[in-house]
Amino acid sequence: MSAAAPVAVVTGAASGIGAAVCRALEATGWTVVGVDMRRPDHLAHSFVCDVSDPHAVKAAFARIEAEIGAVGALVTAAGHYEFAPIGEITEDQWSRMMRVHIGGLLNPLRAVLPGMIERQDGAVVAISSELGIGGTESEAHYSAAKGAILGLVRSLGSEVAGHNVRVNAVAPGPTDTPLLPAAQRTPEYLASLPARALGQPEDIAQAVQFLVDEGGFCFGEVMSPNMGAVI
Amino acid sequence: MSEYVLPRHQEGRIAVVTGATQGIGRAIALRLAAEGARVGVNGRADTEQMREVVELTGGFPVVADMADAASVRSAFATVEQEQGVVDVLVCNAAYMSMSPILEHPLDDWWRNIDTNLTGTYRCVQSVLPGMRRTGRGNIIVITSEWGVVGWPNATAYASSKAGLIALTKSLGRELAPENITVNAVAPGIIDTPQLQVDADDAGLTLEEMHQQYGAEIPAGRIGRPEEIAGTVALLARPGLKAFVGQVLSANGGSTRARA
Repeated sequence: MSAAAPVAVVTGAASGIGAAVCRALEATGWTVVGVDMRRPDHLAHSFVCDVSDPHAVKAAFARIEAEIGAVGALVTAAGHYEFAPIGEITEDQWSRMMRVHIGGLLNPLRAVLPGMIERQDGAVVAISSELGIGGTESEAHYSAAKGAILGLVRSLGSEVAGHNVRVNAVAPGPTDTPLLPAAQRTPEYLASLPARALGQPEDIAQAVQFLVDEGGFCFGEVMSPNMGAVI
Repeated sequence: MSEYVLPRHQEGRIAVVTGATQGIGRAIALRLAAEGARVGVNGRADTEQMREVVELTGGFPVVADMADAASVRSAFATVEQEQGVVDVLVCNAAYMSMSPILEHPLDDWWRNIDTNLTGTYRCVQSVLPGMRRTGRGNIIVITSEWGVVGWPNATAYASSKAGLIALTKSLGRELAPENITVNAVAPGIIDTPQLQVDADDAGLTLEEMHQQYGAEIPAGRIGRPEEIAGTVALLARPGLKAFVGQVLSANGGSTRARA
């Protein structure tokens, strides 16, 4: 963890990948602050906040910086999933998908980047999805939102690299979390994956932890711990 | 970053790193050893450099020339006999030469392919029966940014490295069902002795080459071998099965160089 900015903020911290990331970053010494729609009961520090709401995010991060400490790492894992053929996606559904995923990265970024640039040190990891790379049927809005995250990460990754701020993405494949659709738990589906199994939240957390704590000369990179779903 | 304690992911495991006497390979050998692995240090000959890395890692020497099939196969047979089944194979050994294509002597052009691409194939074939017996393994291939984007006067090297990406993706698919992961790291410009080849081709000093490359990279600097070693170590973690046939681009944000 960063001595000057010992706080790691994880959105979507209450369950699944976000919760596993919290555990991994606590293990390497970060003061982890969870942000979620419902209070993550496994953390000492947490804020209830809708990441798609820029005002709420701004207020939450102001309190985090004032009450807990400077944010040296940001992981955006808050997500929203639904299955819908393109003709049935309503304006509201489309908009919600964009606001949660793209806004869920953009809003926290705007809160933490100035400090990271000033300190010339920081790490941001956005959780995307294999669907943002490969896409699939009846998930156009989810895929589009997750793909947009990759465009943002790649552009911003090179934009702030010179300040030693490492912005990267992790694009999981089918992972054993509450968000996973039932169709991806069937034996037929699992047999179609090269690794023949679902990924575990801890797998994703390991990739995130590496990008936060080391980085390995990755700036604007997309890592895909996806069980071979997209190669 | 401060006081980040290296995890001991490789405790009790055997790793072989090819081309480990200098540069990126040396850093990988040191990193895996620091994480607890017993490391086979490969080089073409038993040299002072090799002995130093063997000593620093507390590992063992693996003398073999990747361009020579018999030498590779017999060296790996000896490793298995004397040390045990290889858990982690890092295929890093590489030959690089640069020349405009029409002026590139054919035998030297092929040496890039034979060492980098065919050499890797030989190493994988050598360790695979052992990994199959133990039902696990992690194979990491070092490819290159130039294997993704290509580079003028580097047709031979870039071809070999692009071939390694396709080899990684295919083998990743082929071996994942057997709990053997195959992934690659595509380093960008890294501070290694190999940069002298680039400098000579460009007619620059090594220092000038560093500065020119650094200015072209979003991070504002070339990479360090230890950074690539860290990325390799992630892919070498036992139990981390989610990476299958992936290429991690560790290149300081050179945005045209993503696999």
